[in-house]
Amino acid sequence: MDPKFLISPSSPLGLPASFWFIELFKVLGFTLHMVPMHLWYAGLILALFLRSKGSENGKCLGARLMNAMPILVAAGVNFGIVPLLFTQVAYYKVFYASTILMAWPWFSIIPMLTIAYYGVYIYATALRKDSDRIPPISQAVGWVSGFIFLAIGFLFSNQFSLMVRINAWPGLWQKTSLAGAPLGIALNLSDPSLWPRWLLMFGLALTTTAAYIVWDTAFFASKESDAYKCWAIRFAQRVYSFGILWFAVFGSWYVFGSWTEDLRREMFSIPLVYQTALTAIVPALPWLLITAQRRRITPMLALLTGLAQFGVLALNAVSRQTVQNAELRPYLNPSAEAVKTQWGPLILFLVLFAAGIAVVCWMVGKALEASRKPAMAG
Amino acid sequence: MHYPWWYVPFLTAPMLIAIVSVLHMFVSHYAVGGGLFLAVETRYAYRNQNRNYLAYLKDHAWFFILVTVVYGAITGVGIWWTIGLASPLATETLIHAFVFGWAMEYVFFVLEIASAFIFYYYWGRLEARTHQVIGWIYGISAWISLVLITGITGFMLNPGSWPRNHNFWLGFLNPQFLPQTLARTGGSFLLASLYVYLHASFKVKEADLRRLIERRSARPALLGAVLVVLGGLGWFVFLPESAKAALAAASVLNVLMVVIFAITAAVFVMLYMGPYRNPGWLSPGFAILLFAFGMGAIGTGEFLREAVRKPYILYNVVLGNQILPEEIPKLRKEGYLEGGTWTKVFIKAQYPQAMTDDNVDPAKLLALPNADQVKVGEVLFKYHCNDCHAGQMGYSALGQATQGWTPEMIRAVVKEPEKTRFFMPPWCGNDDEAELLSKYILSITLPHPSGMYYGNGK
Repeated sequence: MDPKFLISPSSPLGLPASFWFIELFKVLGFTLHMVPMHLWYAGLILALFLRSKGSENGKCLGARLMNAMPILVAAGVNFGIVPLLFTQVAYYKVFYASTILMAWPWFSIIPMLTIAYYGVYIYATALRKDSDRIPPISQAVGWVSGFIFLAIGFLFSNQFSLMVRINAWPGLWQKTSLAGAPLGIALNLSDPSLWPRWLLMFGLALTTTAAYIVWDTAFFASKESDAYKCWAIRFAQRVYSFGILWFAVFGSWYVFGSWTEDLRREMFSIPLVYQTALTAIVPALPWLLITAQRRRITPMLALLTGLAQFGVLALNAVSRQTVQNAELRPYLNPSAEAVKTQWGPLILFLVLFAAGIAVVCWMVGKALEASRKPAMAG
Repeated sequence: MHYPWWYVPFLTAPMLIAIVSVLHMFVSHYAVGGGLFLAVETRYAYRNQNRNYLAYLKDHAWFFILVTVVYGAITGVGIWWTIGLASPLATETLIHAFVFGWAMEYVFFVLEIASAFIFYYYWGRLEARTHQVIGWIYGISAWISLVLITGITGFMLNPGSWPRNHNFWLGFLNPQFLPQTLARTGGSFLLASLYVYLHASFKVKEADLRRLIERRSARPALLGAVLVVLGGLGWFVFLPESAKAALAAASVLNVLMVVIFAITAAVFVMLYMGPYRNPGWLSPGFAILLFAFGMGAIGTGEFLREAVRKPYILYNVVLGNQILPEEIPKLRKEGYLEGGTWTKVFIKAQYPQAMTDDNVDPAKLLALPNADQVKVGEVLFKYHCNDCHAGQMGYSALGQATQGWTPEMIRAVVKEPEKTRFFMPPWCGNDDEAELLSKYILSITLPHPSGMYYGNGK
C-alpha cells in the first residue's frame, strides 16, 4: 500500500493568502502559545511540588505560580487556536486524516482539558481561601490536573508526529478500522520521534518556567521579601540549568535517534545548519542572563531574559516548521497550492489584529497601574 | 470522499457534533448576554452607588468566568475539534472560505478573555470609569464574536450566491445572517437573565436586592424572547425550499419547531407574570424551571438547525457524506470506490483481483464470493451512508429503517434515495456498487415484526 495515495486532493478554493503569510501566523501563533502552555506543562507540576515539599520560599513561589495558573491556562488555550487554524489552512491534506486515525484520543483532549482546567481553579481557589491549609482533595485535584496536562501534551506529540509520518498510516489504518473506516483508536506509539519530541518539550517548558519566575520576581513580586527574591532568582537558575540539560539530552535523542539520514543531512547542511545549531545553543543566552542576576535581580536584565526566552521559543518554532516541511516533502508541498488571496478580509483582519493588541495593551496597562494602588471600595 | 470516514458505532460521528454543539450553546449565549448584563448593570450600580448590587455583580462575575471562560471556551474549541473529525471536507471548505472570519473572531476572543479577567480580578482596584469601559469591551467583543460566528453558521444553512462566485462577503452576509444574528442576540439576552435568576435565587438572601435583580433582568429577558421569535420567523422565511419542506414533512422536526415556539412563549409569560410584574416571585424552584425551559429551547433550536440542512452539511456546497455535489457525475461514471481516496486504496489492498489497469472494477467486485461482496457493500455503507445512519442498531439505524423491506425495495431506494426522501443525498456510485450496497443492507435488515394483524387472518 503506497501511503502517498492516501493524501487527499487539493481544495478547489485554493489558499486564502500566500503560503508565507499562513506559515508566518502559524509559527507566530505557536510561539505565543508555547509561553503559557509551558507554564502549565512544567510550571504546574513544579508549583505543586514546591507547595508540598518546598521551603517557605518555595511554598511562596508555588502559590504565586498557582495563583496565575487560571489566567495562564486561558491564555494558552486561546493562543493555541491560531496555529491550529493556520495548520488546517495549509496542511489540511494530512491534518484531518491523521486526526481521524486517532480520533478518540484526539477528541478526548476536550474533556481532559475541561477537567484539568477546572482542577486548576479548584486548587487556586483553595489556595486563595487559606494558603496554609489546602484540603487534601484540592491537592489531589491539582496533581490530577498536572498529569492530565502532561497526557494532553503526549496526545499532541502523537498527532503532530503522525501528521508527518505518512508511511505509518496504512499500518495503523489496517489495524484499527472496520470495513475501511477508521475506528479512531490508533496512536503513533511506534514512531521513534514520539517520545523524544514529547520529552524535549518538557525540558523547554522548564526553561520557560524559569524565565517566568525571573519576570515574576522582577516585576510582580514587589510585596515579597528580599530574601524571597534572592532565593527565587537562584531557584530559577537551577530550574533553567536542569531544563537545558533535559532539553540537550532529549533534543539529541530526537535529532540523532529519530531523524532520517536525509533529514539530518538537510538540517546539517549550509544554510540550515546555522539554524539547527542556533536552536540548540540559544537557550544558553537566557541562562547567562539569569546567572548574571544571581546576586541581584534587575528589571533590565529580567526584561532581557524574557525577550531572550521568547527568542528561544520563536527559533524553536521556526526549526520545528522547517523539519515539518522537510518530513512532508516526499508527499506534500503546501507552498505549491493555488493561492486566491482574500484581500478584503485579510486586510480587515490585520487592522483588527493591530487594534486588538492596542486595546489589550491599554487594558493591561490599566491593570498594572491599578495593582500599584491600594484597593478601593466597591 | 477525500478523507477517511471515522466510524462511531451506534451513534454515528456527526451526532457527536450535535452533542458538543448543544453543550456549547447552553453557555455560549450566556457568554455574550452575561457580558452585556455585567457591563450595563455595573454602570447602573456605580451610578447609583449601590454597594450591595456591586457586591452581587462581583460574585456573579466570578460565576460567569468559571462557566464561560472555562467550559464555554473549551467546548467552543470542541465544536471545531469535532467537525474536523466528523466532517473533514466541510471543515476544510469552511476554513478555506472563512479563515479570516475565524481569525477576526479570534481577535475578539482574545479581547474577551483579557477583559473578563481584568474586569473581575481588578474589581475594586480599577477606577470606576475604567472598570465600566473594560466591562463594555468584554460585552461588545463577545457580541461581535457572536456576529462573526453567525455569518459562518448562517452560510452553512443558506450560502446565498457564494457557490457561484466564492466571494467571502457574499458568503458571510448570506440570507440567514440577519435573522440568525437577531435570534442569537435575543437568545443571549434571554439566557443571560435566566442564568442571573438561577444564580441569584441561590446566592442572594436579601429580599430588596433580589427584587432589584429580578426587575433589572426582566426587560432584557422579555426583549430577548421577542428577538428570538422575530429572528426565528426570519430564519424560517430565508430557509432554502428543501429545508422548509423538511420541516413540514418530518414529523419530528415540525414537532420540535412547535416546541421551540411554545417554550419561548411559556418563558415569556413566566417572565412577564413573575420577575417583571411581580418581583419577589423568584425562588430556586422557579429559577430552575425557567432555566430548564431556556435550555430546552436552545438545545432544540440547535438540533433543528443541524437537521434541516440535510442532505447537506454546507447547503449546496458539501453533502453530509463529505462529497462535493460537482463530483457526483464523475463518481457515478467511474465508481464511488474508485473516486474515493481511501476507498480505492482499501479495495486495491484487500481485493487486488478486483482491479483493472489500477482502477477499481465493480464488475469484478460482483464476481467475488458473496461474503466478500457484503464486506465491500459495508465499505460503501460506511463511506456513503454512515454520516446519517448507524448500521443495524443505533441512531437512525439502517437495519431498523429498512425493517421488513424486500430486496427490490432496498435496491430501488439505494439507486435513487433522493427520490424516496428528498433530504437524502443522491446515490454517488454506479449500478454495480448499488448492488453491493444493497447486499450489505439486506444482510443487516431486520425482519418484519411478527404478530401484526392486517385483517387477512394471518
